[in-house]
Amino acid sequence: MQLISEHPVLQYQHGKKVEFSFDGKKLEGFEGEPIAMALHANGVHIYRVTPEMERPRGFFCAIGKCSSCFMVVDGVPNVRTCVTPLKEGMKVETQRGKGAIPMEGETD
Amino acid sequence: MTWKRTADAVVIGGGMMGMATAYYLKKLGMKDVVLLDKNTVASGATGRCAAAFRATWGGELNIILGKACIEKYEHLEEELGMDIGLYQNGYLFMAYSDAQLENFKKCIALQNSLGVPSRMLTHDDARELCPGINVDDVKGFYWHKRDGHADPMLTNFAHWEAAKREGVVIEKFTEVTGFKMGKDEIKGVCTNKGYIDTNLVINAAGAWAGKVAALAGLSIPVHGERHEIFATEPVDFNVCPTFLMSYDPDFYMQQRPHGSIIAGCGPHRYRAEAAPFNDYEMGDSWDFLEHMTGIMNHVLPRTKGIRVVRQWSGMYDITPDMQPVIGEAEEMKGFWMNVSGSRGFMFGPVAGEMVAEQILFGKTELPIEKFHWSRYARGEYLLDTAIA
Repeated sequence: MQLISEHPVLQYQHGKKVEFSFDGKKLEGFEGEPIAMALHANGVHIYRVTPEMERPRGFFCAIGKCSSCFMVVDGVPNVRTCVTPLKEGMKVETQRGKGAIPMEGETD
Repeated sequence: MTWKRTADAVVIGGGMMGMATAYYLKKLGMKDVVLLDKNTVASGATGRCAAAFRATWGGELNIILGKACIEKYEHLEEELGMDIGLYQNGYLFMAYSDAQLENFKKCIALQNSLGVPSRMLTHDDARELCPGINVDDVKGFYWHKRDGHADPMLTNFAHWEAAKREGVVIEKFTEVTGFKMGKDEIKGVCTNKGYIDTNLVINAAGAWAGKVAALAGLSIPVHGERHEIFATEPVDFNVCPTFLMSYDPDFYMQQRPHGSIIAGCGPHRYRAEAAPFNDYEMGDSWDFLEHMTGIMNHVLPRTKGIRVVRQWSGMYDITPDMQPVIGEAEEMKGFWMNVSGSRGFMFGPVAGEMVAEQILFGKTELPIEKFHWSRYARGEYLLDTAIA
């Protein structure tokens, strides 16, 4: 994980270190911090691929407004990863297209 | 563009009804056609509607008209030379009571007799058509494949472009303030931008058409009623790939090929008081959002958690029998009404052509005389059991 550890003004207090998966790969992050932040710290910069032009999209507005960081989290598409807190064991996947809506009972 | 001081016809209203009327008048040979809108093109009901069309009505006239509309819509892209976002995969009507199911059977029999091949579907058929639909409390379904929807903006704009190509003069942000009249004939139109000399006015102002008619001293029963609607974020196009509709509970839902799901219902269903919905105010309410999202989650459980991204309202043009008001005023020669009865998007292209043919040639294929509002004075109402 690449994160600033010392800062002249700010103090960092991270939560518990947890494991999650990104496209099947095991990664580590801090519980309660945004999913996008954990991915960024792990060097993951492409979060979704646009539906029509198939262009990569990643971190952009960071305040849950722009739709750039939509990902599939635990089977649910269009999750704003920049404002969604990371939890132990989360299954995070790159979103391709508009997001498939699972049938009832299909989400994990 | 220089202001036209005289015109052979002035059409009031730039929605589907008005724009199609102006387009066909010009195309079929009228020389100077001017269209006025107090706002802009598609700013009234058309740009705010659920944008669907169907032949699955409960009255003979509507079925004939609806069938003509489907045939029209299927050829609009060739006719106008622009994409209109056409999508046809039927209306799926859902009955939640035995009485509704009985009515469905009557509708199907009438529709079949008029050449509309609608048919009952089983619960399994419905599930296949719309994956994930909740059919547990539904008594029965019927469906007609050629019903469908299109993009209201694209369709209205395609008519706009085609009308401009034909040479129709379109004046936006131009409000009619009055009419110049002889004893029993129209002589001109006064607007906030200037005066136009004309012997022919077609009032296609939708919900505002009653107010426009009043400026000519005519009392024609058309008023506006506010209906609300919302759209969700786009999701994969398999959540609601057919148009869902029910009368009680009252709802409609459809998914545009782009992925957005659009849903709405009548205003009387989520507000205790019946009025006022006719105050001509747009706007939107929490009551509607709460009521309608609840229905959507019940009918399409997969939509739980999908975000609503827009909510808005539009004016239905309400007539006493919820049917079109079309024809020339008997007491005011040259003053025509072309009002759809809250389905201007659906009927617009056909109604526009029908009115243009009647004006130019004195005849048209469809029974236009049946839609004249003089029927109300005779106590005749056009009946249809399949109106939302």
